[in-house]
Amino acid sequence: MSITNLLTNWSDFRQQHPSAAHPHREYKWAMSIDLDSCTGCNACSVACYAENNLPVVGKEKFAHGHSHHWMRIERYWDNDGREFADQGAQFLPMLCQHCESAPCETVCPVGATNHTADGLNSQVYNRCVGSRYCNANCPYKVRYFNWYNYPTTENVWPEPMNQQLNPDLSVRSKGVMEKCTFCVQRLRASMNDARTQGRLVIDGEVQTACQQVCPTGAITFGNLVDPSAKVGKQWKQQQVDLNIDKQPKDAEEKAAKLRGYRILEELRTYPSVMYLEQLRESAV
Amino acid sequence: MEKDIREDIAWAQINKDVLKSLESPRRLYWVILLIALAMIGVAVGSEIYQYTTGMGVSNKNNSHVWSLYIATFIFWIGMSHSGTLLSAILHLMHADWRKPIYRFAEAMTTFSLMTAGLFVMVHLGRLWQVYYVMPYPNERWVWPNFQSPLVWDMFAIATYLSSSVLFLYVGMIPDLAICRDNIHAGWRKKLYTIMSLGWEGTDRQWRNFRITYLTIACFLIPLAVSVHSIVASDFAMSNMPGWHVTSFPPYFVAGALYSGCAAIITLFIILRYVFRFEEYMTLPIMKKLVRLTFAIAMVWTYLNLIEFASVWYGHDQTAKDQLIFKATGPYAPYFWAMIFFGSILPLMLAFKRFQTHLPILFVVSILLNVGMWLERWMIISPSFAHGHYPWTWDHDQWPSLVQWGIVFGSFGWFTLLFMVFCKVFPSVSMYEVKEMVYHRTLALKHKPAVKGDY
Amino acid sequence: MSKRHLLALFNDFDEAVAAIAELRAANIKGFNMDDLILKSPIEHPEVELVLGDKPVNVQWFTLIGACTGALLAFFLVSGAQANFFAQIKGGKPIVPLPPNFVLTYEMFILGGVFITILGFLICAALPAKRSALYSAKVSEDQIGILVKGDESAVAAFKAIFTKHKALEIQEEAGK
Repeated sequence: MSITNLLTNWSDFRQQHPSAAHPHREYKWAMSIDLDSCTGCNACSVACYAENNLPVVGKEKFAHGHSHHWMRIERYWDNDGREFADQGAQFLPMLCQHCESAPCETVCPVGATNHTADGLNSQVYNRCVGSRYCNANCPYKVRYFNWYNYPTTENVWPEPMNQQLNPDLSVRSKGVMEKCTFCVQRLRASMNDARTQGRLVIDGEVQTACQQVCPTGAITFGNLVDPSAKVGKQWKQQQVDLNIDKQPKDAEEKAAKLRGYRILEELRTYPSVMYLEQLRESAV
Repeated sequence: MEKDIREDIAWAQINKDVLKSLESPRRLYWVILLIALAMIGVAVGSEIYQYTTGMGVSNKNNSHVWSLYIATFIFWIGMSHSGTLLSAILHLMHADWRKPIYRFAEAMTTFSLMTAGLFVMVHLGRLWQVYYVMPYPNERWVWPNFQSPLVWDMFAIATYLSSSVLFLYVGMIPDLAICRDNIHAGWRKKLYTIMSLGWEGTDRQWRNFRITYLTIACFLIPLAVSVHSIVASDFAMSNMPGWHVTSFPPYFVAGALYSGCAAIITLFIILRYVFRFEEYMTLPIMKKLVRLTFAIAMVWTYLNLIEFASVWYGHDQTAKDQLIFKATGPYAPYFWAMIFFGSILPLMLAFKRFQTHLPILFVVSILLNVGMWLERWMIISPSFAHGHYPWTWDHDQWPSLVQWGIVFGSFGWFTLLFMVFCKVFPSVSMYEVKEMVYHRTLALKHKPAVKGDY
Repeated sequence: MSKRHLLALFNDFDEAVAAIAELRAANIKGFNMDDLILKSPIEHPEVELVLGDKPVNVQWFTLIGACTGALLAFFLVSGAQANFFAQIKGGKPIVPLPPNFVLTYEMFILGGVFITILGFLICAALPAKRSALYSAKVSEDQIGILVKGDESAVAAFKAIFTKHKALEIQEEAGK
């Protein structure tokens, strides 16, 4: 009975997130991206298209802003007033930050997007009604709307490209919001394997598509709860804490050697993706 | 002091004049009705195209996920607020001058809400799943997300629509009885007989009627304020620069009352002219209405300025940049048009000579609403064009013809509903005009003598 | 003994009030003041001076409706949240109070309005069939007094009504 449930679990139901009191118990998937290693080659983006059945919308729709790059490479030219930057463009791979306090989750009228027990920001396609409020409230604008019915549109997956669609996940029809899932189909498969064997997922057992293809190994992905995981070590090394909104790198003068930061932290979204600042002569 | 209404007007004359407005319409009526239907046709066509092809045809994109639909949704919701203001607040304050004009204002409330409701649906990417937003028991225990301001919207609009329909209806029961008594055949007779519920004007009915009407009026005032505050929460609760503003709820409420009052002026002039209601919708009443509109316009202007000022003075650099972008970027012409129509044009209403000049008021009131529509658009589009994340800035987005078509059609839909209402139901409250006349004659007849023990 | 109904129409509210006052004073045998109904085109709260205070109970419906609406909303919404996967959204508590108060407030009003209308219909005994003695004049500008009394009282009624310049006296046909 719901009321009984409500009254017995009241204090649990009043628990906020993120907080030290109720951390993720077994898994907290997180990522770190080393911008110094990133060459802007776009391999991650391509791998994402292949892995997650992203529709290729074509030049015209891309120009209209209808593209579906869950993983996108952003280019910034820091010119300092010169015509061309000395060291070329700077790149930033941008994907869903899987925030601990995701602004998109609270505003969805139907509860199609939720925080999962393993720390993902999930998206339930079947439940989505397409109000697009989540995108409006996402400060990173990493949510992509199906403006057209791509599975039935010509040339999105022309023959025989439809043969390479990933059977582990669906294609999305029109009117549905979608975004990076941290390759949830891979995570679920390896978590299930581990569970049948009575253990937790070992670091390196599961990789996201973007991580797998990154030629420079700029992307690290893993379980933040696992003390042996590389991603957790990186976070610790950079003194980046999931549960605070200002990291030592920005808070303290003497922390100039730290490179780890998270984007738009001041909005208190507590993202799960840490970026390692680029090392540049001009920046040092 | 001019009188709001002539006191020696015969009660039978009131019945006759108002019932006359229900008689067979002139040819022009049908012409306008057809135009309204054609406008609805444009909207329905656009919606069918959008429904089958996908939201992409409205030319929104991944940073401009909302556009004219939401802007126009707020516009219509806002328009609905003045019916309640005029009717409920002035009723509680015993402002008699509301009596001849509140009925059509309430009808306007209802119909603009019905128009606004359509925009919520038109806006959805998967319209066919709209019932997901409603809390209904189901075998999987799946509920809407009650944290979402959109669900609050759903609750608020459902409450407001049903309450204002009931308010309109309850207030109309005695008038429906008059219609029933004076129309002797046809579907109208049946309709009025059923809808008047057998009203006879007995003392028992009146006694309960008075308290009921008063109670609903009391409920409607906080409800109206909460509805537009909740609509404002759609924006204020988000973290978008330009939306995340504490003063949004009162600002929205003021804007709502403002555009509603302007719309009441427009409809006042039209009804007065079309139905020859000069005896009831008098110039002194118009004067009061115009002054009220002017006061609300100034409140709105103040809240607008305070919003700019607090963004400017606050520490949020993104919001400040966005404000500058709004005022100087590609949206600048619309932004300044909004300032002109919304804040400068209403200064005209302060002058006596314009307060009763109907042709000028007609044009001005429409322009005020143009300004208010622009205000809503200026809340939506420039904010999306210049959000938190510079990489997604897109300053060139322009709504497609599909969007304009649906916005255009919504005016036809409103016109259609309103025109049908005016021909089926009395648009002036007969029994309340009688009350107004009665109380005035009474006041003249018995001048109370001052007694010693007073 | 069979009861007879009589409807008298008056031009002026004051005349009707005078007639009622006299009916009360005359103390006619076989007639109870509670059987008198005033029908008027507008509301006359002053009529209570002659008819006596009559209780109005609509506000109790309002109270009950508003409280029920509010309680129902709060517990249904919170209960639904507690059952809906017990799923965390946006780092907020699973049962977040501020949004639930917003919904409680809306349902408070909704319940209040709906049950008030229900109370109105019950208290005013609507919808009902109109009584046989009804004149369209009442919805225009005349005041009607409907009395119910014994056969014997009819003459006295008529005398009083005529004295106070009743425009028309209708008697129940048949019976």
